[in-house]
Amino acid sequence: MPLRKAEEQFNQLIEDYTSPLLTWAKYKVSDDELARDMVQETFLAAYQSFEKFKGESTPRTWLFSILNRKIIDHYRTRVKQHSSYGLEPHATSRFFDEEGGWLPESTPTHWDYDEEHLLDNNDFNLVLKLCIDLLPDVWKSCVQLKYIDDRKSDEICQELGISPTNYWQILHRSKLQLRGCIEENWFKK
Amino acid sequence: MNKLLLSCLRATELMEKKLHIKLSFTERLQLKAHKMICKACADYEKQTYLIDSVLSKPPQNGNPSQEEIESLKKVILTKISKD
Repeated sequence: MPLRKAEEQFNQLIEDYTSPLLTWAKYKVSDDELARDMVQETFLAAYQSFEKFKGESTPRTWLFSILNRKIIDHYRTRVKQHSSYGLEPHATSRFFDEEGGWLPESTPTHWDYDEEHLLDNNDFNLVLKLCIDLLPDVWKSCVQLKYIDDRKSDEICQELGISPTNYWQILHRSKLQLRGCIEENWFKK
Repeated sequence: MNKLLLSCLRATELMEKKLHIKLSFTERLQLKAHKMICKACADYEKQTYLIDSVLSKPPQNGNPSQEEIESLKKVILTKISKD
C-alpha cells in the first residue's frame, strides 16, 4: 500500500472512531482523563500494527478489541492490588438477618417504571453511575468487566485470578448493593 | 423445615448463579417455589435484570462533547505524525 494512502486511511479511522471509542471508555472507567488516554493509546497501538491489519475484521471490531484489552488491563492491575475480594460474611449482613431473611430497611419494594424511558433518563443514568462508583474496587472491576463486549465471564475470572464461584458471588453482592443504592436514591425520592 | 424452603439470601444468590452456571433440578424448583411465596425476592429478580440491561449498553446521553472529541483527535494526530 502506498504510504500516503495508508496515512489517509488511518486518519479516516481517527475521524470516524474517536467518538464511539471515547464514549465507551468513559462509560467503562469513571475517570475522564484516563478514558482519553486509553483512546489515544488505542490509536497509537493501532497505528503501529496498521500494516498487519488486513481487514479480516471490521476496523470497528479491531479498534474496540484494542481498547477493551486496555480496559481489562486497567482493572486487572487494580484487582491485583487487593488481596481480599470483600466476600466476608458481613458483606451480606447489611441486607439479611442471621436466618437469611431480608432486614426490614433493606427489603426490596416494588419499582414503578417504564423500562424504555428509564434507560434513556439522564438523571437515572447518573444515579446508576454514582452507585457503581460506591462499590468496593474489586466488585466494581468485576461489574464493569462483565459487560464488556464479547468476553465470556469465565475468561474474565481467569484473567482476574478469581474462581468462578467467587466471581458470581461478587456479582451477587454487587447487585445487592447497586439495587439498594438505586432504590434509595431514585425510587424513594 | 421443608427442604424446598430457601432463605431470601440463598434465593438471591441462586438468581445470580443461574446467569453463570446451570442450576440443578432441585435448585430450580426451590427458586421457583420461593418466588411464588416471596414478593420481595420476585421484585428483586426483576430489578436485577433491569440493572443488567442498563449495564450492558452505554447510555445515550453519556456522550462526550464535540469539543472534547475534536481536541482528542488533534492530540492523536499530532502524536502519530511525530512517530
